[in-house]
Amino acid sequence: MIFPALAYLAIFFVVPFWSLFKTSLSTMGGSIFLPQLTFAWDFSNYGHALVTYQDQILRSLLYAFTATVVSLLISYPLAYVIAFKSGRYKNLLLGLVVLPFFVTFLVRTLAWKTILADDGIVVHTLSAVGVLPPDGRLLSTSWAVIGGLIYNSMTFMILPLFVSLEKIDPRLLEASKDLYSSSFRAFRKVIFPLSIPGVLAGSLLVFIPAMGDFINADYLGSTQTTMIGNVIQKQFLIVKDYPGAAALSFLLMAMILAGVLSYTRALGTEDLV
Amino acid sequence: MASSNNYGIDPALVSRLATNRTNRRRFLGGGAAAAAAFALGPAFLAACGSSTTTSSPTSSSAAPDDGKPATGTLRISNWPLYMADGFVAAFQTASKLTVDYKEDFNDNEQWFAKNKDPLSRKQDIGADLVVPTQFMALRLKELGWLNEISDTRVPNKKNLRPDLLNDKSDPGRKYTAPYMSGMVGLAYNKAATGRPITKIDDLWDPKFKGKVSLLSDMQDGLGMIMQSQGNNVAEPTMDGVQKAVDLVKEQKDRGQIRRFTGNDYADDLAAGNLIVAQAYSGDVVQLQADNPDLDFVIPESGGDWFIDTQTIPYTTQNQHAAEAWIDYVYDRPNYAKLVAFTQYVPVLSDMTDELNKIDPKLATNPLINPPKESQDRLHTWAALTDEQTQQFNAAYAAVTGG
Repeated sequence: MIFPALAYLAIFFVVPFWSLFKTSLSTMGGSIFLPQLTFAWDFSNYGHALVTYQDQILRSLLYAFTATVVSLLISYPLAYVIAFKSGRYKNLLLGLVVLPFFVTFLVRTLAWKTILADDGIVVHTLSAVGVLPPDGRLLSTSWAVIGGLIYNSMTFMILPLFVSLEKIDPRLLEASKDLYSSSFRAFRKVIFPLSIPGVLAGSLLVFIPAMGDFINADYLGSTQTTMIGNVIQKQFLIVKDYPGAAALSFLLMAMILAGVLSYTRALGTEDLV
Repeated sequence: MASSNNYGIDPALVSRLATNRTNRRRFLGGGAAAAAAFALGPAFLAACGSSTTTSSPTSSSAAPDDGKPATGTLRISNWPLYMADGFVAAFQTASKLTVDYKEDFNDNEQWFAKNKDPLSRKQDIGADLVVPTQFMALRLKELGWLNEISDTRVPNKKNLRPDLLNDKSDPGRKYTAPYMSGMVGLAYNKAATGRPITKIDDLWDPKFKGKVSLLSDMQDGLGMIMQSQGNNVAEPTMDGVQKAVDLVKEQKDRGQIRRFTGNDYADDLAAGNLIVAQAYSGDVVQLQADNPDLDFVIPESGGDWFIDTQTIPYTTQNQHAAEAWIDYVYDRPNYAKLVAFTQYVPVLSDMTDELNKIDPKLATNPLINPPKESQDRLHTWAALTDEQTQQFNAAYAAVTGG
């Protein structure tokens, strides 16, 4: 029964994974445009990638982390309202959360470019009220990139949060009230702990794609906001340093894995929702 | 500008969404890369590990020409927004061929990364005619992956500009048939700069901090900078390239350079996000229609030419149809329609009359018909060796991609 699933994993995960792994430890030889990759346990690819691109790696970590935290802070109240306070508008609100996804990712990101443009209304307004310096800009800054990451991934944060919040038995809340718990205390002691699986799942769904993202940095960023995804893309497709790019991909994977493991450990749950 | 009620991530579509006017090469940036990365996936990686056979260059029009007209379907892969409306339909009517026209050529190096493995195994790449830039076409030719373009099947080849026809990179244009040529120079917004831009040093004016863009293509991006440092793109050296790269890095670290772009600089220029940009001439002609403040200059120290060429990969399924297409394109009245749309510099000689018939402004536009003094300042990159391409690309990518 599980054969199709196993076959799928083998073909679309194990094989490419193994191929990428081998590439990351290979040396390149032969002709320049049709290089021969020789598997050689060449760990220097990793050292080189780490040293050369440490700035982009750190930047990606910082951006992805910030995006995840901000996304959580914005999404939690929203998911809470939808789960507990929305009454008959629940489905409508959920629909609105998903609605932007009917438009493709790329187009939505390009739309932000227009909104945040230097001569756009947002920048003019913010400059007029003194939030931005006169020659300040929003587009092509770290904030635009992080904003794009948040915007493009919020649904992935809201939905798991909503699911875990909605599952909470209202009688537990009533019980806490009966025991003279304040609303805040009830939230802290009952609701939040029970929503941890949602927090965890949402955070992972935002953090992991954000780490490898390169579209937001490409369109909303500048030459100072390059992320590791941009580097990998360039190394694979333009420079064609396959071992180096593969090593970077593995480093990225390892960092994400380490982050995920320590995070699940810290939140004390191994279940995702 | 971008209307956001369209769906789909076809690069050609997105490039239209991302822009409010029509031109080519617009979409070299991330979107194309994303589409390519999605499309590549594991097969690409697996293919990287496979053994490759280096085929020696051969002239592979093996079967003798029976002289019959072409039949069947012709699959063309061209840059987005590089084709006049109705042109393909007119060709189909004239030739009785069916054309499957795709705008899926977005970036030379990325196209090569995707197609080199099937080509090295002589497997069909889904196109009978592709339009890479000349440096890439010459690379394909060196690898033996191009078919010869028959002189008898393309009699209109004689209409080519003599300088292009007799160019030493491909004398007689046996393998690479020029499609459009254009100038790489500087585009700027006069109203925003408040003064004319004439030289590379103007790019680094602190007044324009964060409002300058360079092209991410190595030759287009570095060419004019190398020339401003007294180096010649016709005889490039690693030292010269490195010197230009160092300058770009210095300016990037200062925050002077906002972005490294493909054709997408055009949108930023139109939106006011950029004040000065390295630019392709045809784009600017288009942009000027909406914004007369935009100007295009060849820097005093020099700019460069680019030439996109029609080539027939040796995996073509319809050689004669591809040749029929090239011949049709090289007919002056037909070609004038293309130029009127793309606004680039014609590759055919004596186009003035035909352009005048469409619009007298075309032939007098210095960006379509550049005067001698502009032409004297334009240079063409030497055909690079494999090692040079690799080294130069890597050096520039270290700045643009990191």
